[in-house]
Amino acid sequence: MRKLFLLITTLGLIMATGCNKPSESTNTAGSGGGKKLTIAFMPKSKGNQYFITCKNGAVKAAADLGIDLLFDGPTNTDPAKQNEIVENWITLGVDVIAVACENKEGISTALRKAQAKGIKVITFDSDSMPDARSFFVNQATATGIANVLMDTAAQLCGGEGEFAIITATLTANNMNEWRKNIDLRLKEKYPKMKLVETKPCDDQKDKAQQETANLLGAYPNLKCVMAICSPAVPGAAEAVKQAGKVGKVKVLGLGLPSENRAYVKDGVTQAVILWKVEDLGYLTIAAATALAKGELKPGATTFKAGKLGEIQLQGSDIVLGQPFVFTKENIDQFDF
Amino acid sequence: MKRYFRELSVAAALFALLAGLALFAPNFYEPAPLLSRFAAQAPALVVAIGMTLVIISRQIDISVGSQFGVCAVVAGTLAAMKLPLVVVLLASVGTGAILGAFNGVLIAGLGLPSIVVTLATMVTWQEALRLGQQGRFINLPPGMQWMGLSQVGGQRALVALAVLMVAAFAWALKNLAAGRHVYAVGSDAEAARLAGIHPKGTTFGVFVLMGGLVGLAAVMNIVQSPQVDPNAGGGLELKAIAAAVVGGVAVSGGRGNLWGVFVGLLLLATINPALTYLHVEAYWEKAIQGLVILLAVVADGLRSRRGKR
Amino acid sequence: MSSSSKLNGWKSALLRHESVLLFLVLLEAFYFNAVGRNFATADNVGNIIRHSTEIGLLALVMMPIILTGGIDLSVGSLLGLCAVLFGKMCQEGGFSPLVAGGITLCIGAAAGGFNATLITWLRLPPLIVTLGTYSLFRGLAEAITKGTATYSKFPQAFLDFGNGALLGLPNQAWILLAVAMGVWLLIHQTTFGRSFRAIGFAPEGARYAGLPVERRVAMAYVLAGIVAALAAILFTARVTQARADAGIGYELLAVTAVVLGGTSIFGGTGTVHGTLLGVVAVAILSNGLSRILSISNVSRELSGMLTGALLVLALASGLLSKYIAAWRARRGVAG
Repeated sequence: MRKLFLLITTLGLIMATGCNKPSESTNTAGSGGGKKLTIAFMPKSKGNQYFITCKNGAVKAAADLGIDLLFDGPTNTDPAKQNEIVENWITLGVDVIAVACENKEGISTALRKAQAKGIKVITFDSDSMPDARSFFVNQATATGIANVLMDTAAQLCGGEGEFAIITATLTANNMNEWRKNIDLRLKEKYPKMKLVETKPCDDQKDKAQQETANLLGAYPNLKCVMAICSPAVPGAAEAVKQAGKVGKVKVLGLGLPSENRAYVKDGVTQAVILWKVEDLGYLTIAAATALAKGELKPGATTFKAGKLGEIQLQGSDIVLGQPFVFTKENIDQFDF
Repeated sequence: MKRYFRELSVAAALFALLAGLALFAPNFYEPAPLLSRFAAQAPALVVAIGMTLVIISRQIDISVGSQFGVCAVVAGTLAAMKLPLVVVLLASVGTGAILGAFNGVLIAGLGLPSIVVTLATMVTWQEALRLGQQGRFINLPPGMQWMGLSQVGGQRALVALAVLMVAAFAWALKNLAAGRHVYAVGSDAEAARLAGIHPKGTTFGVFVLMGGLVGLAAVMNIVQSPQVDPNAGGGLELKAIAAAVVGGVAVSGGRGNLWGVFVGLLLLATINPALTYLHVEAYWEKAIQGLVILLAVVADGLRSRRGKR
Repeated sequence: MSSSSKLNGWKSALLRHESVLLFLVLLEAFYFNAVGRNFATADNVGNIIRHSTEIGLLALVMMPIILTGGIDLSVGSLLGLCAVLFGKMCQEGGFSPLVAGGITLCIGAAAGGFNATLITWLRLPPLIVTLGTYSLFRGLAEAITKGTATYSKFPQAFLDFGNGALLGLPNQAWILLAVAMGVWLLIHQTTFGRSFRAIGFAPEGARYAGLPVERRVAMAYVLAGIVAALAAILFTARVTQARADAGIGYELLAVTAVVLGGTSIFGGTGTVHGTLLGVVAVAILSNGLSRILSISNVSRELSGMLTGALLVLALASGLLSKYIAAWRARRGVAG
C-alpha cells in the first residue's frame, strides 16, 4: 500500500508543479520594453565542425548587435530531439528561434507551435515547410548545391563515366534532398554518366575511407567520388591516395577548407564546395534580430545585415550568395 | 571437433562467403586493396582481443568506443606537438589504461555491475570529449602516417602487429597462470577464490588491459591517415562484442578462444565490402549483420538443444 | 519494542532507494525552479512528460525483463521498424491510423515473440539475441524505406492527438499513466510479478518450485514488443513523421532509467515506481539544465555526464545500504 501511495504522490507531484502555476507568463522576455533580445540558435547536430563555424559567426553577430544568444542542438541522431529543443525554447520564452532543420515535416509541427505563441521563426542551412517560418537564410538551395556538385563532377570526368556518392547516413534528410536533385540533374544533362552506388559513412572519416576503398576495388572504372558530408571528403581523398589512384579517380565534395587543404594542394581532391559558413551564422542572427525589431518584414527586398552590408531577398529567402568552389588556387585564402 | 563446433561453423560461413566472392567478384582479391582492408580492421581486432578477455571473465565493456575517441584525441594532440611516436603511443596506452582502471575500480573494487558502470562511463567520456573537442579534426605532422614507413610497409606492420597480438594473447590465455585465472574467474569466481586466485585483482587487471589495448588500437588507427577524427570509435563496442560472440565466446563467462574471435571479426568485417563488391544496395547491410549474429548463436542453441534430448 | 521496530521501519523506508530518488527529483525540481527560467510552468511540465513518454514506456517494459535477469537491446530498433511500418500502412496502404495501429501492435508482439522464442526455446543469452535483433530490426526498417522514405501524410486528427492535451495534461501522459498502472499491477499485485522476481533471483530454483519459467520470461519480451510498437505510434504522432531512424539509442536510455530507478541489473529486485522516478530524474535534469541560461550552451553535454555520474552513484548507494544492513545484522547478533 505504501508503494501505491508513493506512486501516486510522485505522479501527483508532477501534476501539481504543473497545474498549480498555469498563470505564469511563458513569454517573459517579450520583444518590446528595451529588453535584450534572446535568440535561440540550433544546429542539426553539436560536435560538428561545420556548425561550430556557423556558431562562431552567430556569436560575432550577437556581440555586434547586442543580443543574447542561446545555442543548443542534438548530440546524436535522434530525429525527435530538434522538436523537443524547440518546444523547450517555446516555454523558456525566447524572442526568435533560428533552426537548421534535420526533418522538414517533423520540425515544422514544433515551429508552427512557436509561431502560434508569438515567437518569430527563421530557418538557415536547410529549410522547414514554408508556412512554419518567416524567412529562410539560404546559403544555396538544394537544387543549387546539387547542380554545382553534379556539374563539377561531370566537368572533372569529361561528361562520361561511373561515379559514386558517400553520404552521412541513409536517413539524413537534406542529403537525401541533394541526392534526389543530383539524380534529376544527372538524368537531365549527363546521360553518359552513371551513379553506381551511394554508401553511408555514419559521419565518420575512417568509415568513409573504408567505403571509398571498397568502391574503388569493386568498380574499377570508377572515375569520381562525390562526398556530400564534411567528414567524408578527407576520408574519400585518403582512400584514393592510398589506392594510388590520385588523378585517375577525382574527388569532390561538400567540406571545410581546413580539413581538406592538404589533399587539394596535393591534387588528390579536385574541388571542395562550400559557402562562407561563418557568414551564414552571422547573417542568420542579423536577420533574426531585424525580424524581431520589425526592421525586416515579409515582402522586403533588402535588409542591412551588420558588417555584411545590404543583403538581397528572393521572396522569403535571404540569400547568402552562391556556393563557392575551393580549388588548389584559392584554398589558402580561407581559414575555416 | 565437437568442442570447436562454433569456431568451425563460423569459419565455414566465412569460407563460403569468400568462395562466393571468388566466383562472382574475383577482384575482391586484388592484393593492394585487400591489404588496406586488413590494415583498416587491425585496430578493431586489437579491441576485440580485450573484449574477449572481458567477456571470458564474465564482464562486459560498452565504453570502449568512447575510450577509443578519447585516446585518439590525446594521441593526436601529442602527435601534433611533434612528439615522437613512442611518446604518443605510451600516452595513448596510458590514457586507455587509466580509463580502464576507472572502470576496474568501480567493477572489481566496489563490485558494481559492469554493464551499468561502462554504460555510465560511455556517456560520460563521450560527452566530455564533445565538450572539449567539439568535433574538430586534428592535423598530424607528415612523418606520423605509417609510422615513417612506406604505405605498404606500414599496413603490413599494422596487420602483423594485430595478428601477433592475437597469437600472443591466445598463447598467454592458455599457458600463463594469469590467462587461466581469467577463465577461472569467469566460470566461477567463488571457486576461483577458494583455489587461491584473486578474482577482484584479475577482473581489475582485465579492465586495465582492455583500456590499454584500446589505447594501442587508437594509435594503430590514427597512423593510417593524416588527420584524427574525434568521432572515430562510434559503434566500436558493438563491433567488438559482436565479433567475440560470433566467434564463440560465451557471455556467461569462462568459455571462448581468441582464434574464434579472430574468425568472427573477419566474417563480420567481410560482410560490408562483400556487399559492395557484389553490388548489393547499402541499405541491406545492417539487417544482414543482425542475421549473421543471430544465425551464429541459433546454430549453437539448436545443437545444444538436440544434445540435451 | 514495538516503537523501536516502527522507528526502524521508518528509517528503512527513508533509506530505501525510491525515497532517496524521490528526494533527488524534488531537489532537482526546486533547484531548477529557483535557478532556471520558466521551469515550473504548466507548459514546461507538459513538455517534460510529452518528451519522455516513449522512453518512459520502454523503461516500464524493460523493467520486468531486467527483473527476470534479462535485457532487451532491440526495443529502440523495434520502435523504428514499427514506426516505418505504421507510416507505410497509413500513407501507402490507405489504412486508418486506428487499423494500422492495431496491426502495428500485432507486429510488435510478433517481434517480441521472436526475441522470446530464441531466448526461451533455444536458451540463448538475451544480451546476444537482442544485440542481433537490434541490428536486424533497424536494418529491416532501413531496407523497407531504402533509408530515404519519410512518411508524413497522416490524418490531421492523428497528428493533433500527438500534440494535444486532455484535462491539462498531454494526451501521452494518460497513456503513460495507464501503462504504468498496468505494469504496476502486474509486477506488484499479481503472482506474475513475484515469479519474475523469483526467476531473476534463481532461475533453476524457480523451475524446481514449479514455475513455468519459459512462459513467464517469454511474456516479458512479448509485452516489451507490444509497448515498443505503442511507443512507435506515439512517437510518430508527436514528431509527425515516421522514418527509419526513429528511436535510435532509446534502449540505453531506457536501461539507464530502469537501473537508476533501483532495479538490479542482475534481476530479482526492482519496482515500477522506482523506474518512473528514474525516467523523471533524467528528464528533469536535461530539461532543467537547458533552462539555466549561463550554461544552456553546454547543457546537453553536462546532462549526459551528470546522468553517467548519477548511474554510478545510484549503484554505489545500493551498495552502501547493503553494507549498513550487514553491519546492523552483525551488531544485532553481537548484542
